[in-house]
Amino acid sequence: MTVDQMSTVADRPRATASAGRTRSAGRAGATMTARRHRAFYMFVAPWIVGFLLLTIVPMAYALWLSFTTFDGISPNWHYVGLGNYRELMNDSVTWDSLGRAGLFAVVSVPLSIVAGLGLAVLVNRPIRARGLFRTLLYLPAVVPPVGAGIAFKNLFDQNAGATNGVLTFFGFDAIGWLADPYARYVLIMTVLWGAGNIMIISLAGLQDVPRELHEAARIDGASAWRTFRSITVPLLSPVLLFQTVTGVIASVQTIMPMLLAPLATTGGLTTVPQSNYTYMIHVFSQYFALGRYGYASALLWVLFVLILIATGLIFRFTSGVVFYNVDPEAKK
Amino acid sequence: MTATSLTPKSPVRVRIRANRLILYTVLVAVTGLFLGPFGWLVLTGLKTPAELASAPVHWVPAHIQWHNFADAFDLIDFLGYARNSLIIAFVYAGLVTLSSAWVGYGFARLSAPGKKTLFGILIGSMMLPQMITLLPTYLIFAKLGMVDTYWPWVLWGLSSAPYLVFLFRQFFAGLPRELEEAAIVDGCGYGTIFWRIFLPQSWPVLSASFVIAFTWTWGDYIAPQLLLSTDRSTLAVAVMTTYVSSAGTPITNLQAAASVMYVVPILLIFLVAQRGFVAGMSTSGLK
Repeated sequence: MTVDQMSTVADRPRATASAGRTRSAGRAGATMTARRHRAFYMFVAPWIVGFLLLTIVPMAYALWLSFTTFDGISPNWHYVGLGNYRELMNDSVTWDSLGRAGLFAVVSVPLSIVAGLGLAVLVNRPIRARGLFRTLLYLPAVVPPVGAGIAFKNLFDQNAGATNGVLTFFGFDAIGWLADPYARYVLIMTVLWGAGNIMIISLAGLQDVPRELHEAARIDGASAWRTFRSITVPLLSPVLLFQTVTGVIASVQTIMPMLLAPLATTGGLTTVPQSNYTYMIHVFSQYFALGRYGYASALLWVLFVLILIATGLIFRFTSGVVFYNVDPEAKK
Repeated sequence: MTATSLTPKSPVRVRIRANRLILYTVLVAVTGLFLGPFGWLVLTGLKTPAELASAPVHWVPAHIQWHNFADAFDLIDFLGYARNSLIIAFVYAGLVTLSSAWVGYGFARLSAPGKKTLFGILIGSMMLPQMITLLPTYLIFAKLGMVDTYWPWVLWGLSSAPYLVFLFRQFFAGLPRELEEAAIVDGCGYGTIFWRIFLPQSWPVLSASFVIAFTWTWGDYIAPQLLLSTDRSTLAVAVMTTYVSSAGTPITNLQAAASVMYVVPILLIFLVAQRGFVAGMSTSGLK
């Protein structure tokens, strides 16, 4: 913008604001509004088109497939109506894997939130090398799943793993960590390893907590724990709610069991220990190992509906918590 | 931390000192635990297969096998896979950053009937499990002949990502109204306003968005595993699946070395871009 353009604007700064009373100005305002509306749709179009083509269409396609016996190869697949869903209802493997996924979410999400929040409180104190601690604790959260999987596989290896090294050093027997029943604990530890992510987000929340509230509580003689429980946690609740919802969704979809399995290729799905055979692993084994696209699609749709219900329930039970602000004008 | 303090030790001072000692001990211990798995990965990558096979753990390699890193690099077409990863990461991150800025601008500065609903859907779609769309997407792309090409990443990039749209929207919504007023009065189109005024203002978010999208793609395992065949696949898939001997047993030390080489670039990018990256991450879910 050039200087004389700026001065032109300064000469008639209220031109648009005061318009709207006279008829001609009203019409001008209307075309301005129409232009703004058109522009809005032009700007959000990439997302709308992408959402329709890359999300809605695939989901509709999966819904259709879930009523068929399509396997990708055989030409004579057919429509079976609710057949796949009926099978799913009677399949104990499906229910067991769903139970494991649910248990994994119920255990790992609260644990990682508590861990992340705990770390955030620690690195929020005025300590030396605070930035360094924050960075180092956050670092594992940046490690891609494949890196994390391989790192944990080596850490918990029966012979060469450091954990068994420590156990045997203290005279205990080595444990087959990557097999049943211990594999589930390793899976949970991979989640906790990434708690730095929750730490960073909680830290931002902690820094928004008004200092006066803490001071007032201290004057009233509240203990540190009491202050944390009654002031910090409630003020952080939107952050915690967000973490819970995204954490649950991520945990039921995790492919980490596959990456932790002894020979982790897609062909190695059968080597995933029972205790880590979660719902998503079940979907993948139906899909890759057995090529049952129809049945796998039914499994995915059931999962989608269950996630909707779960998030609905989470929001229901935590209602009254402001989640985000839709209206940008309301910020002012 | 030493006891040879010159100041007189009042009980309060001693207690504070003890608390600090506990605090630092806990922090150092936790940090050690968090760095441990990665440290062990590096050590594993420096050992011989014999050391990894024998029962009492070899804490440190007797002779550090630096050549494992070179071997891991040579055993597979490491550079080729890295190049593939770089291509899709750059293509996706570049496109998705621009498209998300574009869409974010629309949500932040313009309005039209249905905006609230659309924004609600956008935010809601962030919670949509990606796996649910990925498997059918694979089948559709297979029909369109786009399997084993990088087109899916182009399309995903062009269609913007809700999370990044949200970041850009938050940023653009916070800029002053005066910024575009003059341009509007002069009859500039909104496209021009976006390109000439808003985009140049948003360097912090642009770089954060690029880094975030880049690390997503670099770290993604499932989409390339599904959509790309061996030659065109990415480093994530190669590191996970190709370090296997002809007998079908995993070559653990080379795989460990390879995964160090796979992870380190991401850690470096993070350390360099740390400030914007963390700021970007921490705006999510707040406000």
